[in-house]
Amino acid sequence: MLLLQLLLQGLQVGALYALTAAGFALIFGATRIFHFAHGSAFTLAGYTFLFATQAGWPWYLGGLAGVVVATLFGLGIYWFVYRPIQRHEGSFFTVFVAAFGVGIVVQNLIGMFAGRGFASVDTPLSRAVEVLPDVYLAEVFWVAIGLSLLLFLLLTLFLTRHNAGVALRALHQNPDLLRAYGLSSTKLSLLAFAVGSALAAPAAILTAMTSGLNEAIGHQVMLISMAATIVGGVGSLRGAALAGLMLGVAEAVALSFVDTQWAEAVSFLVLFAFIIFRPSGIFGITQAR
Amino acid sequence: MIAYFTNLASLGAIFCILAATLNVAVGYAGIFSVAHAVFFGLGAYAGAQVSLLLIPDALVAMVVAALVAGALSLCLALPALRVRGEYFVAASLGLQMMAVTLFSEAKTLTGGIGGLTGIPRPHILGVEVSTLPVALAALALILLATALLMRGSFGRTLQAIRDGESAAEALGKNVAAAKALAVAFACAGAGVAGALFAMHMQFVNVESFNLDQSVLIMAMVIIGGTGTLWGPLVGAVILLSLPAGLAFMPFIPSTEVGAVQQIIYGLAMTLLMVFRPAGLVGDLSRGKSHA
Repeated sequence: MLLLQLLLQGLQVGALYALTAAGFALIFGATRIFHFAHGSAFTLAGYTFLFATQAGWPWYLGGLAGVVVATLFGLGIYWFVYRPIQRHEGSFFTVFVAAFGVGIVVQNLIGMFAGRGFASVDTPLSRAVEVLPDVYLAEVFWVAIGLSLLLFLLLTLFLTRHNAGVALRALHQNPDLLRAYGLSSTKLSLLAFAVGSALAAPAAILTAMTSGLNEAIGHQVMLISMAATIVGGVGSLRGAALAGLMLGVAEAVALSFVDTQWAEAVSFLVLFAFIIFRPSGIFGITQAR
Repeated sequence: MIAYFTNLASLGAIFCILAATLNVAVGYAGIFSVAHAVFFGLGAYAGAQVSLLLIPDALVAMVVAALVAGALSLCLALPALRVRGEYFVAASLGLQMMAVTLFSEAKTLTGGIGGLTGIPRPHILGVEVSTLPVALAALALILLATALLMRGSFGRTLQAIRDGESAAEALGKNVAAAKALAVAFACAGAGVAGALFAMHMQFVNVESFNLDQSVLIMAMVIIGGTGTLWGPLVGAVILLSLPAGLAFMPFIPSTEVGAVQQIIYGLAMTLLMVFRPAGLVGDLSRGKSHA
């Protein structure tokens, strides 16, 4: 029964990982920017929701505020940080360092203004009830799973049916050809950052309701998203989402064999193994990099 | 006051070693490791154990630390041979995170979270010495070795690999061996710095070897200027004097000094990458588009 409980918990965490990872993968796939500050969008959205609820806002307004803040952050970082660097053809490492700097600034600003340590929002949704003998589930579990499925469906429809979504995939495959057709790669990159960052918000809000937030959580979220994107195969949203789910489950199930402090190491062991043995990931196209 | 400055200078020399050796991997070989603190830690634990269990001799500790860190650099060389760019950064991040868990769990070797205490002060041939001259000598030796190596055929091979791996391979250069050697040199240097750090602080725990430390070392190299001999030292001195300088600013509440310092260095990293990606010492025409 313990295994089942851990499995369910892993699914819940994994669904949230999958959402953030999909956002990261969307941005990386479309713009080729390794958005290391993706975790900051998550943290900002989570804390916005936290403050909004504490200020007495209804949950849907707080959630909306979280999504708006995450989206604005994504747009802002592209416009003020990544675009200038790309203009003078900065190497990927330049981008990485700049993004890391932003992550540090956000983390410490939140630490200064919101206080350090864990903070969470208590809602009726997060109260666990016994569904099977010795298996406890909170309603937030169904919300997490349902919301992830719904958002993936919407995202897939957007990327395959909507013109802008198709253009985003084209940007991934051949930016030069895209420009030759008269489309603006800057506008599309902005779109990718807006959508990708917005995807982090629901995950952040649900995390605030369940395990709670702390100012350094962005770090962990960024690392997991990155790991999921690479394990899933770069350019494959499906892969990133699946890998995110898998990492969540692997971390939870690993708990029944090893102590808690090893849970995170499990994710990175998986990542490390993939990079050495199969760098193209699960769904990636095999290409030497 | 003199003790304060000696302490600061010793730490400065140690971090200069770290930044200078990381620069060999990042600046010359194009291997963007964010796991340098891992090898710093390996060296520190190795040096501490040698001092505690065998003899408190600085030279022996440094050699053992360099050997341990250099041998385990294989963990970093392996992904470096397989992948490049973002993938390697990801792999080194993975290594860093796993190492932190290992450092805090392998209690018999590292003392866990509590760390190793009571490490004896450095001795050379039975005479107690201060850390500063030893650290400065080690730094000078490492800088000399770097300058000589990078000017010779090995350094040129590395730079060729950095700027065009396929081209270097086509010219008959042994890419795998050169990369592995560069990583081993960088990591062994970090090990030496670790041994010095352990003997200087007389106490080590996992806090000094986490991702933040790796990023700090990387920031030193980047802010100073990659691929230059002096840039990393400039970066190390600037970033280390930042907390000391902020401590004298009266208007910042003392509880927030750490956060303010982090914000400043995060901002510095971002702004520098946007406006001057080659670093403070690096020249502007270089360092723009080699990935």
